[in-house]
Amino acid sequence: MVVFLGGFSIMVLEIIGARYLIKDFGSAFYVWISQIGVILIALSLGYYFGGALADRFRSLQILAGLISVAGIFIMAIPHFANRLIEKVVLRHPIDQEIPMIWQKLDPVIGSGLVFFFPCLVLAMIGPCMIRVLSKQLEHVGRISGQTYAFSTFGSIVGVFLSGFVFLDHLRISNIFRLTGLITLLSAGLCLAIARRKVSS
Amino acid sequence: MKKTIGQWFLSGPFLFAAVLLCWAMWAGQVDLFGAKKTVYETYSPYHHIRVIDQNGFRILSFNGSLESQVSINNPLTGHFEYIEYFHMPWLWNAEIRNVLVMGLGGGSVQRLFQHYHKEVAIETVELDPKVIEVAKTYFDISNNESHKITKSDGRLFLRRTGKKYDLVLMDAYSSNRYGSFIPYHLVTQEFFKIVKEHLSENGVVAYNVIGTLKGSRAGILGAVYKTMKSVFPQVYLFPATKLQNVVMVATMNPDNYDSERVRQAASRLMRQKKSNLPGFQTRLQSFMNTPPPAAERSLILIDDFSPVDGLLRSASFKQPRKR
Repeated sequence: MVVFLGGFSIMVLEIIGARYLIKDFGSAFYVWISQIGVILIALSLGYYFGGALADRFRSLQILAGLISVAGIFIMAIPHFANRLIEKVVLRHPIDQEIPMIWQKLDPVIGSGLVFFFPCLVLAMIGPCMIRVLSKQLEHVGRISGQTYAFSTFGSIVGVFLSGFVFLDHLRISNIFRLTGLITLLSAGLCLAIARRKVSS
Repeated sequence: MKKTIGQWFLSGPFLFAAVLLCWAMWAGQVDLFGAKKTVYETYSPYHHIRVIDQNGFRILSFNGSLESQVSINNPLTGHFEYIEYFHMPWLWNAEIRNVLVMGLGGGSVQRLFQHYHKEVAIETVELDPKVIEVAKTYFDISNNESHKITKSDGRLFLRRTGKKYDLVLMDAYSSNRYGSFIPYHLVTQEFFKIVKEHLSENGVVAYNVIGTLKGSRAGILGAVYKTMKSVFPQVYLFPATKLQNVVMVATMNPDNYDSERVRQAASRLMRQKKSNLPGFQTRLQSFMNTPPPAAERSLILIDDFSPVDGLLRSASFKQPRKR
């Protein structure tokens, strides 16, 4: 469930995030490229450090803490991101064409500032869960397979729901708030799993 | 042995030829019913662009749907009807000098303006560099002193320019077999406020909306009307008679014109020879100063909630609850 929610939130952030960035960086192709690229960077680093974290601490409490911070961060996006992105766009002198390199890289910066951190944390869930759930070496294959499958399934639901349903019926700011709440919920679930492990 | 007609139809070479012909027609290589020739074809990050010559027209096609057309023999004719409504803003401002056009396409607007309104300086903002190339090569559009083309997103361009315009024309659509698409960030209240900041004192905005007064395309029309009305003092409609376009004209002039006043303004323009477009009088007939029926129950589009993809496919849309 936690990995499902993690995968879900990542893709909602990716799709809604791209939509969000378009109004400032233009509906250029580069916005989509940047958003996909930045999220993938966040994912790969998240997997890497998530794995290291899992081996080092073995408990889910630190992960739960990080996820809650990410959840609050996501909920705050509608309140701080506008000003941040404005700074990126308006730093170029007015009435002059923006150099090609910045036309391409500005959306990368914008996306990085807003969406890199939460996706980095959400990506850590997978390896941490695999570490906690694997008691015996024989089952690692199955458990990691299940983790990937549920996470990706969450992402699939996230993509379709945000593109086909959310954008037509919810305000973008409320979608961010909702995603933040869901992320906080998964932090709670993490803690619950940690408790159960201790008691058993 | 002599074959019967039936056997002949089923014979290998005939079947092969028939299949080949069907494929060729399907692929658009052969058109038996009108001389159709693909002059140029390319892919850009945004569209599959084709330039087609058919029945004396040069056609610009994006992703298989018509984007622009012009008569090859007389480039001042053959354009879509809505292009002519872009001449209506002179009714409210006879002294238009600086014009900003969002969306280049085949450059019909620019071509007509440069012919009938030689006094104006045009700036065009187009996102797709390939569209600019194609317009220059196949539609005789040039980037010169009286017409400056910039490759940029329209909203980004406006935010970053200090210039003011007497007229802003919006024609930034794309479409494919599934229908039309409006860039969502070019129809919101925030966007129109940016436009307003860049209008001169008596400035005018004309917006081409793919939509209808009634029926399945009424929702988007109502929403755009209501959104524009929330920013500009007056908004008028010019529904096209043959196509599913409605050109909305928003003015900084706070007076509400009725059809009588529009007629007076038109005859004044005629006397001063400021509207030379043939058929200007005919296009005047489409004038409406009442809101489209769907406006009443429409929502105002904002950056935070602009479900244009849903709107383009439904008759109306409920306003979401405010938080």
